[in-house]
Amino acid sequence: MSSVLEGLPSELVSADLASGAAQLRVDLAIHPLSAVYAASYVFLDRCFVLLDKTDDHTLRVTLAPRKPGADESVLRAFVGEFANELLSAAWRQQIAQDNRAVIEMVTSQAIAAAMGAPSLDDLAGFDFGDESFEDPLGIAMSWEEKYKKKPAASEGGGTPPAEDGGGQP
Amino acid sequence: MTVDLRALVGPGARLDTRYPAFFRHRRVGEKVLITNHEGNWLLLSEDEFGRFARGDVRFDEPLHARLRDANFVRAEYDVQKAIARVRARKSFLHLGPNLHILVVTLRCNETCVYCHASRADMEAVHTDMSRETAERSIDFILRSTSPAITIEFQGGEPLVNFEVVKHAIAYAKQKNEAVGKQLEFTMVSNLSLMDEEKLAFLLEHKVQICTSIDGPEHLHDKQRKLPGLSSHKAATRWIARINEAYALMGLDPTLYHVEALLTTTRETLPRWKEVVDTYVALGCKALFLRPIDPFGFVEKTGARVEYPRSEYLAFYRQATDYMLQLNQQGVQILERYAAIFLTKILAGEDPNFLDIRSPGGAGIGQLAYGYDGRIFTCDEGRMLHETGDDAFLIGDVRTSRYRDVVGHPTVRALVIASQRDSQPDCVDCTYNPYCGVPPVHSHKALGHIWGSMRQSSLCAVHKGIQDYLFEKLAEGDPGTMGVFQRWTTVRSRDHFLQGLPAAT
Amino acid sequence: MTELRFHRDLYAGAAIDEAVKTYARFATFELAEEAAYWVVRVTATSDARANRVARELANFALGTTIRARGERA
Repeated sequence: MSSVLEGLPSELVSADLASGAAQLRVDLAIHPLSAVYAASYVFLDRCFVLLDKTDDHTLRVTLAPRKPGADESVLRAFVGEFANELLSAAWRQQIAQDNRAVIEMVTSQAIAAAMGAPSLDDLAGFDFGDESFEDPLGIAMSWEEKYKKKPAASEGGGTPPAEDGGGQP
Repeated sequence: MTVDLRALVGPGARLDTRYPAFFRHRRVGEKVLITNHEGNWLLLSEDEFGRFARGDVRFDEPLHARLRDANFVRAEYDVQKAIARVRARKSFLHLGPNLHILVVTLRCNETCVYCHASRADMEAVHTDMSRETAERSIDFILRSTSPAITIEFQGGEPLVNFEVVKHAIAYAKQKNEAVGKQLEFTMVSNLSLMDEEKLAFLLEHKVQICTSIDGPEHLHDKQRKLPGLSSHKAATRWIARINEAYALMGLDPTLYHVEALLTTTRETLPRWKEVVDTYVALGCKALFLRPIDPFGFVEKTGARVEYPRSEYLAFYRQATDYMLQLNQQGVQILERYAAIFLTKILAGEDPNFLDIRSPGGAGIGQLAYGYDGRIFTCDEGRMLHETGDDAFLIGDVRTSRYRDVVGHPTVRALVIASQRDSQPDCVDCTYNPYCGVPPVHSHKALGHIWGSMRQSSLCAVHKGIQDYLFEKLAEGDPGTMGVFQRWTTVRSRDHFLQGLPAAT
Repeated sequence: MTELRFHRDLYAGAAIDEAVKTYARFATFELAEEAAYWVVRVTATSDARANRVARELANFALGTTIRARGERA
């Protein structure tokens, strides 16, 4: 039987004391899914967490403390903590987005300085395979690859095109 | 500590977004502290802050000059000056791990109520580091990109495995001849197993010695059990002997002496005066008023030793006020937390204390090596391993490559998580330029490496200490200011530096 | 028998498969698919055990889903 948790909005939070679980309604317009995941993960060691979608914009999070016999005060504490964690996670993600450039710069500098330049042994272990990275603008292509005349469908080969702007006197 | 901007700005007035450059603010006593991105700060009266926030400052008045010179005026913001300040504060980013902690054994002959190291009994010889593992660890350490390396021997009690300590030192010096690092050795020991032969070796090889003193004898002995003996007497006897030896070598006693570390437990709190007096009597010139950590045995003994951080901060204020008073009477005793923060606040530099910096030092400023050769991001990560948590295990000296270890995903995650600019609360905190909270602490205390600063005991401690320091700066007492300046003056202990000079 | 319903928008199918494999020796599982859900029906030696296994499986599936998102990012 669903009951209200004192002090928490009944339209957002309910509890089933018999099964020792509480449910929160989360509006995805306010709390992105990534924040729900981040907050949920933090609780996995202390609670059983189940997520469900009630409509396109709303999630239902069910929290059941692992320790059996959770009463109203325990459930209220878990719900409150989860709501706080949800807010922290959402804000943290926003901050990371806003400050992404400086965070990446500092992290790169710190790791690069700690790692130092690769030694010959390190380079020996690098994978310099053909498909090592995507190159949509063709920046890494050699001149020959870039300007080689593509053979016509009926031909087996072709001659390289003349350079733009000269090469011939 | 919140500032009611509506009250300060005045009814009907609006905050101005054109006059002030970026700033954060916090009430400190009767003043309002403002800091900016590069760590400049000003203490303003309420009226001054209100006028600053409203943009109601004439260009020809002294307040404008103060604000401009500290880079708080948008129209006259000096970008080059800001860049230089940030570069100075983040100079450690260009260096790799300089502190390497070698845990040569878990065995210990003392049992401390708060033991963070999860010590083992004296029969647990399997927890001794072997000579071979020590050699592999040294080989790994000398691959660090840092031009200066400190190898710190810890345990358990490192004197229990002194043969390996000796071998590691000899091996490191020999290998370093080809590598060319500036080397320092330190050892953290309870000193109860020290003898003249061991001391002679440590002095000859210039090993800095650090110990723990929990305050007066009755408190120290109660918290650090040495079967059948007084652990306090054992430690203080050798502190005196080592200090005597330094003096006989012609070393300046104000610079060369055994330093001791305090671990503040609940029983320490009312004894702030006795603690300071004990350290002064032992010839120590520094006292680090460290609160208790959540690692190791504290999980079981917390009910006995833990305390609210508000009580710790009251203890801190009383003890530090007393130290300031002693300093003004000619007694040299420095509080380490204050020195770390004041170096950042007053000198605009970072003393590279790895646990209070952004990003933190785990993995990029320090590494810890377990007795079995496992590598951890930091000593706390190694402590967690002993209690079953391997989150911060990142390699093995026998099999791992250096670059793989410091470039490990765990290290990257810790670098990101420890940046104040990626954290709620910290991103807006006035103390952002000076502060740091190790993610390992958050992981243990709060369940994940990000932590939640509102619930972080370490955040509370750091905020509280900085509030205290800025209150003192606001008071501006000349005697206190003189002591603060001395506390930010670093005198290099060149006697302990070995190998080549570090490239600057 | 305990029935778990995992919304396809919230849980990765691969994570549920991995969870079922991990807990295979503790209970019997019947998998079904609906338009919006992965459904897992859990049967064990008792209802209490089935319920317990179901909850652990759900946590495992959620944790694995979240970790996989992090690896893709």
